[in-house]
Amino acid sequence: MDGKLEMSLDKLPVKRLESIEENGFERFPTDIGYDEKQVSLIRRIDFGWAVEKEDEEKKQKKRQKKSSRESSSTTTPWPWKNMVENLHLAHQELSVIIDLINTVEANDAVTVAGMTRPKPLPNEILADLAVSTATKLQCYRNLGKYFKQSAKALEQQVAREARFYGALIRLQQNWKVKRQRVAAIAPGNEGFMIDLFDNSLYDSVAVFQPSSLSTIRIDHNSDGMLAINLPSKSCHSLLFGFLSEHSNAGPKKSNKSKTHGSLENPSKKPEKESLSDNECVKDTHLLLRKVHQTIFDEQVFEMVNRGAVNQSSGLNVTGIQENYVQLCIGPGISIYVSVVPSDQGDQAIDSEDPENLESAAVPSDSFDGVKLAEEKHNSLTKKTSFPNCITCEIYLKQIFHEYIFVEAKGRPFSTSTRMPGQPANDGSGLLSHFCLSLSHRIISNKVLMELENVVCRVPYLHLISHPTWHSRSSAWTIYMKIPPSILHASSQARTPDIQNMKNVKSEFWTKVMVRDDCINIEAEGAPNVVGLFKDSSDDICSTNKYDCNLDDLPVIILQQVASQVIRWLHEEALAVGIKANRDFLCLSFELEQGEILSLVAHVDPEDIQGCISWLLTMEDSFAEEKKLHMNIADGASEYRKFLGYLPLDVLYSTLMDLVSLCGGGSH
Amino acid sequence: MNKAGGIAIGGGGGVGSGPTTSAAAAAAQKQKALMVRVETDIANIVDNFTHLVNAARINDTPVRNSQEACTMDMRASRMAQAADSLLKLVSELKQTAIFSGFASLNDHVDQRIGEFTQLAEKTDSLLARVGEEAAASLKELETHYYSSAQRTTQTLEP
Repeated sequence: MDGKLEMSLDKLPVKRLESIEENGFERFPTDIGYDEKQVSLIRRIDFGWAVEKEDEEKKQKKRQKKSSRESSSTTTPWPWKNMVENLHLAHQELSVIIDLINTVEANDAVTVAGMTRPKPLPNEILADLAVSTATKLQCYRNLGKYFKQSAKALEQQVAREARFYGALIRLQQNWKVKRQRVAAIAPGNEGFMIDLFDNSLYDSVAVFQPSSLSTIRIDHNSDGMLAINLPSKSCHSLLFGFLSEHSNAGPKKSNKSKTHGSLENPSKKPEKESLSDNECVKDTHLLLRKVHQTIFDEQVFEMVNRGAVNQSSGLNVTGIQENYVQLCIGPGISIYVSVVPSDQGDQAIDSEDPENLESAAVPSDSFDGVKLAEEKHNSLTKKTSFPNCITCEIYLKQIFHEYIFVEAKGRPFSTSTRMPGQPANDGSGLLSHFCLSLSHRIISNKVLMELENVVCRVPYLHLISHPTWHSRSSAWTIYMKIPPSILHASSQARTPDIQNMKNVKSEFWTKVMVRDDCINIEAEGAPNVVGLFKDSSDDICSTNKYDCNLDDLPVIILQQVASQVIRWLHEEALAVGIKANRDFLCLSFELEQGEILSLVAHVDPEDIQGCISWLLTMEDSFAEEKKLHMNIADGASEYRKFLGYLPLDVLYSTLMDLVSLCGGGSH
Repeated sequence: MNKAGGIAIGGGGGVGSGPTTSAAAAAAQKQKALMVRVETDIANIVDNFTHLVNAARINDTPVRNSQEACTMDMRASRMAQAADSLLKLVSELKQTAIFSGFASLNDHVDQRIGEFTQLAEKTDSLLARVGEEAAASLKELETHYYSSAQRTTQTLEP
């Protein structure tokens, strides 16, 4: 309102004389009732001033508009000023009306009969319509933005789920996927897990406890892709090694595949998502396979542990720790089986001492058998006697694998042809078998080296290997064949009446078999070698069979071979009609003068030039007393002559010379 | 989702041993429930969108316009919610497929078993062949070595 405020004052509630009549009667106005008073008060409100004011304001606006149009180029008034002023005025009028309506409503006698709105002008109608339209359009635009955002979020969610479930379905092709039925699941984790524990392997007694790695939880990475996170050094692997007095073969390294310890999040660019998904799934497969192998290695170690501590197994346990078992398999030879983290194994490969590599696994076929120095012989003896640690580890895993996955399931398997006579179906039996196999391998390597040494120094011997395909038995044959040239000469030298006789034996063999740690020799055509120790070597058997130990093996072999040569020479002498006597390593001829001319074989495994040397001795009937005083080492004695390391053809010619000396024979 | 997964595992276990009537009935009921959900969600989306389109009409009273603005927000939210519900349904179906697709899984497992058995047999035969060849080579090499000039000349040396 303006500054002027008109007020109307009621008359004082004093009865005022309205009129006086001539007779003096005073007439007062009638009392107005309460309701009539209120009505009269209301009617006194005059809004004419507002109407007049509105008209004046409209005139003013028109004048201002005119002036503004004239002066619009110079000044720029605030564009919303008029609107603000109009709003203020409207607010004031509205306040008055509201007060009036409240007063009217408070007065029960008077009610608002009706309110008529002034008819809006066309431009006002259009303005309202425009405002409404603009408002609604803005609403729709906001809705559009909202829909776009929602669509984008849903598309991302669909893509993430598609990647996740696609990878999960691919994993499920090879692994057992399970789900936790837990209500409170962390956001982004639906409770999927992969179970690596094979329930079908074990009986109801639950021989094996599930490893901590048996259940692996599937998580989401930052991109929503499937991820498996394992703590570092959670994957272990089995480690096998030898410990001996000679070679300090410490914890060597066995096969360690280069796999990942934890899955790396694919941080590829968005345009290579499909490639990273494949790689992600592949990496997950590799990781799960590594965990699977870890579980298997732990099972193997547990069985080894159980077999070792089993008192009925008969194994000699020399050390046992949390993840380490040491067993003694022979004099001064121990093996250890341990479980180490795979990361440690990977590092150990790089930093391994080359000396350990040499001492670990040098196969025996690399052995140079042509020329052999003694020092080299000793060092090679120590080096080549141990089998390869990796092969032993593989063998250990294989025999336990067959037990765990084959026999426990009662399912036939086709790889048992290589190992007939598999031991008892329990862990301790398997471990005993494994230890016996290792000790056998070590002993057989030593036996082979001894045989090679012997064959190397005796030119007319052949060594033939016979692979047995059995882990605890090995066999060789030392073969001696008389050269055809000698046989031809022999056949020409025979007397006619003897030529119809059976031909002289020209092939001799000596079989060496090793079963576990027992060496068994089987030879033909020689007196019983064991009779040598019993001072009765006259027993002649077509085939001898006896056991010996490693230290005596070279001597026994050489004696066997020498006796076979003596036998051959004896038969050749008989073939030309000369009577000769055969002793263990001696072929004797009796001369006309009563002297005994003997061809004696001398065996010495340590002789570098040759293991079998020959001596010619002459004895007469008076030489018995002098025998005890003769110096055996003196090869220049008149009763003894050292002939040297004679080959077979020279031996034969020597024999023929002796025969001619005897004066007998057809020629 | 847990319930759906549980039903899936239970239904899958029944199917694995042979389709019993109860398992078949449970599966049919579940399928029906899923279809109902799908249709509900889709009808929800269509209905709300229809209302949104209908609310485009401009009314005279500003009050009604304001009312319609609030209604539009509500309809849009309901549409987004229905879409999210459909996506969750799809996730449930995928999980059901993971835990109930025994036929294809068994076939795949059998196929892999066959492949690995074949591979094992092949490896065994390969190992046997390698062993036989090694034995034959060893025998041949031994024969050659011991009959070689090196050994025969060695025999001539005293």
